[in-house]
Amino acid sequence: MDKVIPFEHKMSAHCETGTLSSQLAFHGLELSESLIFGIGSGIFFGYFNNSKFPFPTFIVRNKPGQIRKNLTKRLGIKFTSETFKTAEQAQNKLDVLLEKGIPPATQVDFFFMDYLPQYLRVHINVHFINVVGKTNGNYLISDCYYPKIVELKAESLEKGRFAGGSMAPKGFLFYPSFIPKEFDYEKAVRKGIKKACFNMLKIPIPFLGIKGMRKFADHITEWPKLAMDSEDLSHQVSKINILLEDQGTGGAGFRFMYATFLKQAAEILKKPELIDFSKRMMENGDKWREISLKAARMGRDRDLSVEKLKEVGDLIRERADVEELFFKELSKAVK
Amino acid sequence: MDESKDLKLRIKQMIVETLNLNDVDPVEIIDDKPLFSGENIITLDSIDGIELIMAIQRNFGVRLDDQNLARNILETVNSMAEFITANIKAS
Repeated sequence: MDKVIPFEHKMSAHCETGTLSSQLAFHGLELSESLIFGIGSGIFFGYFNNSKFPFPTFIVRNKPGQIRKNLTKRLGIKFTSETFKTAEQAQNKLDVLLEKGIPPATQVDFFFMDYLPQYLRVHINVHFINVVGKTNGNYLISDCYYPKIVELKAESLEKGRFAGGSMAPKGFLFYPSFIPKEFDYEKAVRKGIKKACFNMLKIPIPFLGIKGMRKFADHITEWPKLAMDSEDLSHQVSKINILLEDQGTGGAGFRFMYATFLKQAAEILKKPELIDFSKRMMENGDKWREISLKAARMGRDRDLSVEKLKEVGDLIRERADVEELFFKELSKAVK
Repeated sequence: MDESKDLKLRIKQMIVETLNLNDVDPVEIIDDKPLFSGENIITLDSIDGIELIMAIQRNFGVRLDDQNLARNILETVNSMAEFITANIKAS
């Protein structure tokens, strides 16, 4: 089967929002990545220190798939999604959809996307790509981290879609199946902001939102006791940089993307005061980037004393104070 | 010296100063050779990349917020110059 679907390829800051944006554009709805992120209440923080994780880790956005679910709730856009028991079933379904002219998004392990440079390819099970055709047995991929549509061998795609481990993709695919003709953007944006404020300020779990940031700030000085050796500690501290800057965050732990959203929200809600919130969030992003850089340097230079880790903790605590005030005021501004 | 050459020299000086490459003469950095792959006279890593993103913001008042685009923009002196020129004009 040879099939090339005319799909407009776009690069984006983050794979889930970027894939959603290009999927919706294919079906005639232009919705920017940042607007999707904001309406989907994507901004978040969580610090995890429990037996499920070999070492403490953190997240800077809500869980994968939640942004899509929030779009359904707030804009009425419906998605068809499916996981599969076998790779064969998954490939058959993909081929059927392509034959019908539907280019689905699918979840893959980033590592098997062998069109990307070797140094970028790490095992991350929650990467999203669009499959936009098939030619000579190879699939045509629109990956928002790559500048153009590219061919990928069927076996590489299969390995990516059926990688094992935590958050295994199980061939997961999705595509929009219903897009309303009209939207109440004002209501959706307002709800998206309110839910984000709730998640950051009031979610009743001690390691999520602002509470999670403070937990991270307090706990980071314990990391040397938890690491196997200094090499491991250096790797874990370097990961702070990776999680804030590299892993599909668009930089500074999604804070820049949220700043862009708030600028759009100012227009949609006719609330020019949100422009100031956008600027504050941008400055906040700059400070997260400084933390990221400090951690990266410490990891690289093996400069990992408890005093140095405390400095990072103090900077994170400062961000918690800033974001707590920010989300309290933002919540009042959109009431 | 035309504007473009002047800008490229400023970028090279910024790279050398930001990354403390004291033994590198800025003019020796080649405009169209990748900075991260070992093909230029200097080889940068991802931490250097973040430092350069912040330095571009400080020196030229231009933001580079998208980490994925950053990989392409920081690839060579030429691509940085194109980005800075386009964004200074846009603002």
